[in-house]
Amino acid sequence: MAKTKPMAAGAAAAEKKQNKKKGKGGNMKGRNGPAAVAMKARGAGAAAAERSNPFEAIWSRRKFDVLGKKRKGEERRTSRSRSDAIHKRENTLLKEFEQSAKSSVFHDRRIGERDETLPEYDKAILRQQREHMAKLKRASKFNLSDEEDDEDSHTLLGNDDFNEEVPIGDDSDEEGNTLSKKRLSLQSSDLPSETDLPGETHGHKSKKEVMSEIILKSKFYKAQKAKEKEQDEHLVDKLDSDFALLAQTPELLSLTESARVNTHKNNSSTIHKGSSGLTGKEIFNKEKPDAYDKLVKEMVMDQRARPSDRTKTPEELAQEEKERLEKLEKERHKRMLGTAESSDEEDDDSEDGDHHMRADNSKPISGDDLGDSFSFDEPTKRKKGWVDEIYENEGRKIGEGVASGDEGSDDSGEDEDEDEEDAGDEEDSSDDDFRNMPARDWEQSDDDEVALEEDEKDDVKDKEQVIGEKVMKTNAQNLKRVSNAKQKPHGKDEDLPFVIEAPNNLQDLSSLVDGRSETEIAEIISRIRTCNSIRLTPENRKKMQVFYGVLLQYFAVLATQSPVKFKVIETLVKPLVEMSGETPYFAAICARERLIHTRARLCEDIKVPGKSSLPSLKTLLLLRLWSLIFPCSDFRHAVATPMLLLMCEYLMRCPIQSGRDAAVGSFLCSMVLAATKESKKFCPEAISFLQTLLVTSLKGEVSNQINDQFMELKTLKPWLHISEQMHEVNRMNILDLMSMDPDSPFFASDNFKAGVLLSVAECLRGFVIIHEGLCSFPEIFMPVSSLLQQIMEKSELPALLQEIFQDVIDLIKKRSDEHHASREPLQMRKQKPEPIKQLNPKFEENYVKGLDYDPDRERARLKKLKKQVKSEKRGAMSELRKDSYFMAAVKEKERMKHEQERSEKYGKAMAFLQEQESAFKCGQMGKGKKRRR
Amino acid sequence: MGRPYAVKGKKKRKLEGGEASRAPPVDAEAVEQEVKENEEVMEGEAAAEEAFAEEVGEGIPIVPRPVDSKRRPGAIFVLERACLEVGKVGKGMQILNSDDHANYLRKQNRNPADYRPDIIHQALLAIFDSPLTKAGRLQAVYVRTEKGVLFEIKPHVRMPRTFKRFCGLMSQLLQKLSITAVGKREKLLNVIKNPVTQYLPVGVRKIGLSYSAEKAVNLFDYVAKSNDDEPLVFVVGAMAHGKVDKEYSDDYIQISGYPLSAACCLNRICSALEQKWNIQ
Repeated sequence: MAKTKPMAAGAAAAEKKQNKKKGKGGNMKGRNGPAAVAMKARGAGAAAAERSNPFEAIWSRRKFDVLGKKRKGEERRTSRSRSDAIHKRENTLLKEFEQSAKSSVFHDRRIGERDETLPEYDKAILRQQREHMAKLKRASKFNLSDEEDDEDSHTLLGNDDFNEEVPIGDDSDEEGNTLSKKRLSLQSSDLPSETDLPGETHGHKSKKEVMSEIILKSKFYKAQKAKEKEQDEHLVDKLDSDFALLAQTPELLSLTESARVNTHKNNSSTIHKGSSGLTGKEIFNKEKPDAYDKLVKEMVMDQRARPSDRTKTPEELAQEEKERLEKLEKERHKRMLGTAESSDEEDDDSEDGDHHMRADNSKPISGDDLGDSFSFDEPTKRKKGWVDEIYENEGRKIGEGVASGDEGSDDSGEDEDEDEEDAGDEEDSSDDDFRNMPARDWEQSDDDEVALEEDEKDDVKDKEQVIGEKVMKTNAQNLKRVSNAKQKPHGKDEDLPFVIEAPNNLQDLSSLVDGRSETEIAEIISRIRTCNSIRLTPENRKKMQVFYGVLLQYFAVLATQSPVKFKVIETLVKPLVEMSGETPYFAAICARERLIHTRARLCEDIKVPGKSSLPSLKTLLLLRLWSLIFPCSDFRHAVATPMLLLMCEYLMRCPIQSGRDAAVGSFLCSMVLAATKESKKFCPEAISFLQTLLVTSLKGEVSNQINDQFMELKTLKPWLHISEQMHEVNRMNILDLMSMDPDSPFFASDNFKAGVLLSVAECLRGFVIIHEGLCSFPEIFMPVSSLLQQIMEKSELPALLQEIFQDVIDLIKKRSDEHHASREPLQMRKQKPEPIKQLNPKFEENYVKGLDYDPDRERARLKKLKKQVKSEKRGAMSELRKDSYFMAAVKEKERMKHEQERSEKYGKAMAFLQEQESAFKCGQMGKGKKRRR
Repeated sequence: MGRPYAVKGKKKRKLEGGEASRAPPVDAEAVEQEVKENEEVMEGEAAAEEAFAEEVGEGIPIVPRPVDSKRRPGAIFVLERACLEVGKVGKGMQILNSDDHANYLRKQNRNPADYRPDIIHQALLAIFDSPLTKAGRLQAVYVRTEKGVLFEIKPHVRMPRTFKRFCGLMSQLLQKLSITAVGKREKLLNVIKNPVTQYLPVGVRKIGLSYSAEKAVNLFDYVAKSNDDEPLVFVVGAMAHGKVDKEYSDDYIQISGYPLSAACCLNRICSALEQKWNIQ
């Protein structure tokens, strides 16, 4: 119990001192503060008690002074409470103890005797009342009472000694009350008082007279009301008649006439008529509404004109188009990062809105999605997206021979330009607009031919508006071309059947197509597609799939023919791309099959030594076609990924055996670049191939230059070594090269070598740009850069080539410097110091002292109860102990008293006896003797 | 009523003898326990270090940590005259502060400007958030309120970050006289008997800080010069006005030409000690 509870120990100490002082000062003086006031306020008796025992004046000290706490429970005087307890025991326990020995007890049960506070006189009154009531009970009602009693009761009820009315005692029960009331009424009847009289007269009146009075009054009011009404009617009549008279006067007539429109002339006649028989009011009511009123009413009833949809401004249209393209681009990015695997969900999410459908346009491209697009109305919209995406690709990608070749149907002059770009140039950022334009024109002309695809037409119209300005700008040649394209098919229509069945095999198709011009072929294909559109019947899907396969086959066959019909091939590209959009799944399957086949042939070709295993023109064209159809930038795609892998394999495994191989390889590299440009995938094969090509341009020390483990060892000859000084460099056309014989002297010419080197350099620059973010950039490109440097030093390159080489070197240097700068040295592994473990204190936000914060309610309750029991028990024990102390003290006192008495008695007796004895001994002489003494 | 407790104590000791792994009894003397715990912590650290070294394995060199002896001296803070006073506001008991209870305090004839428990809160946060504490170099914190109540805070307490929760903690501490850890019986905060000197290590150097002190020192130099083997006791005031009395401090210094807040002062002390003991 050593633990004191100082909420503020220091304060408690201070308090203690103060209290001690108080104690010393005693109760006589020096008491100050609220405690003293409280003490003074106590009863006089208490004060007297205090005075009797000075110790009782000492208050228990408060342990802490808590601001705002009431002093109620704290003030306690221990010694006083002890004396109180003793006093209480004296009244209860002591009495019981005293009576415990007695056999009979006297109970005073007189009225009022229990209540000690009542004064004696009140007790007497109470007794008398009770006595009186007992007399008035039913049983004693008819007993003759003594007169004295009667008188007594009167005096008591009326006035007492102080001339005040005494109320009947509150303690008397209900029955008594009623009785007294009865008696009151009896009395009143006997002795009628003055106050009663007016009350009685009033009561008589209420019965009959009041009722009659009310009736009279109501009748009177009714009569008055009727009278007033009559008067009002009279007045109204009079007014009416006055007005009728007034209406007949010419002044008023003229007034009304002028107010009304002249058309209603008969109205005035009615007025005249009415004035004779009807009152003026009625005339006005009967009057017909005039024209103005009618008009107003009609206008009220008229529906308001609703605003029609505003025609969109060109800016808005352009904005919409831009947003759509942005959305498509975002989608593509998503797929590029490989997150679009869940395109199914997106499909579900997409609403019917056109915008969303457009956003989904590119979906059937991704391999996983292929099965989802078998609905009938989607392909039309999708197709639009397809074309658009191709445009985008065109705008961005470098060197797309075949796509731009599409335009060749319209302009063959452009062909060469585009094909030269194939060889890997990319200076064309400024040409983008120019290249887009013809494509759009071509689409316009084409769409005019397609009769059924109306929605597409609408879109085209929109587009026309958008690009209106551009169209205006384009040169006249272009415009002419458009018109030509429009006119041509009309001219040839007679030759071609309008409804063409889809051919089932290559023979059918070739018989259909042979000998036709490109435009006719395009027309044929478009008619076939229109007639057998998938949208018409579901069976057409099958047909179209077969037709697609046949078309693809035809495409491949065309590429193998000895004089390659590039124009026809180019014509085929557009429908192939569109149809792939319609049957994406089938297109993907076809492409994959062919890829597998090509790969198998590659494996076989490689085994044969001396044979050029690099892809043929057919394969190249197909690869190009697929790279247009399928999105190369997807993270993983059913066709694009194997296609890219195949190209890389070509580059890696095929030995360079001729100048032609070098050219084909560089073209493949540019295709790889185009495919990886968006997604920035890293293809080491392409770069090492380019490096090899560069090495071959060095004359002597070829063998040791490359120790690249990626490349299978090849016999390297200086294929690209330029021996003479040249002044100009021409770009290569891959199609021309492909048609040449591998052994032709052209491949040994410096012109060719310079062209290939140019394309190699351009391609390298593209790779440098797309891979500049790679961490290992310096390691990848620094050898290339040193190689380029070497070439520049050793061989006589044309100025243009030198410039480009220098450019690439500088670019590589700049980027690698950046990378080197951002690299940090390897660091030792640091150990983080371990912080000490911290513990949270357990506390409640609103702590209330004495409350149990046990989360287990039942346990808390039990604890509380146990505590209560304990404290109760302790209290009872101490009470009992104190009782026993008290009783012991009482008994002890009694015993002492008894003993004292006894000893007194004993003493007395002894004294008496002693006296007697002494008297006896001295022979009755003692006293006298004493006296005498 | 001393007996039942005595019996209990004996029982405990018996149990302890039986089970070696049992935690030391909560009622043990504060300082002793302090030392023990510190040792335990250090041992734990050493063990963890070894474990880590094993875990990392060969090949990767680890930066060798400075080898320090088992007994590292720590810092002891005594915050004097903290304004922590419980008042009965409405029904509940609350720590009085000048913001929430301004009217109440005026009614009680007190100056609201004197009731600033936020000072001690900030000061404690400054101590317990310092790397010094995280590194285990804090030995103990003693707080003495304006009313003279002294309580001790163990160095591994995570102080409530918000003022309201801090007030709740303090009001419970002042009413219940001790606060245990969550889920443990260990006492984290404990009201103890005055004076504070009986809990400080014997012969330790007690440094009182006050703006009014005559000896102005550069704290970094001052701390660097002090003996490495024994702990340092800093006596800092946590009141709004006034100064700490220098009755038990051996040295009475001024560390800045400006009057500093308690939290700022403690931050400086902590950073000086961190610099001295090379704690980053």
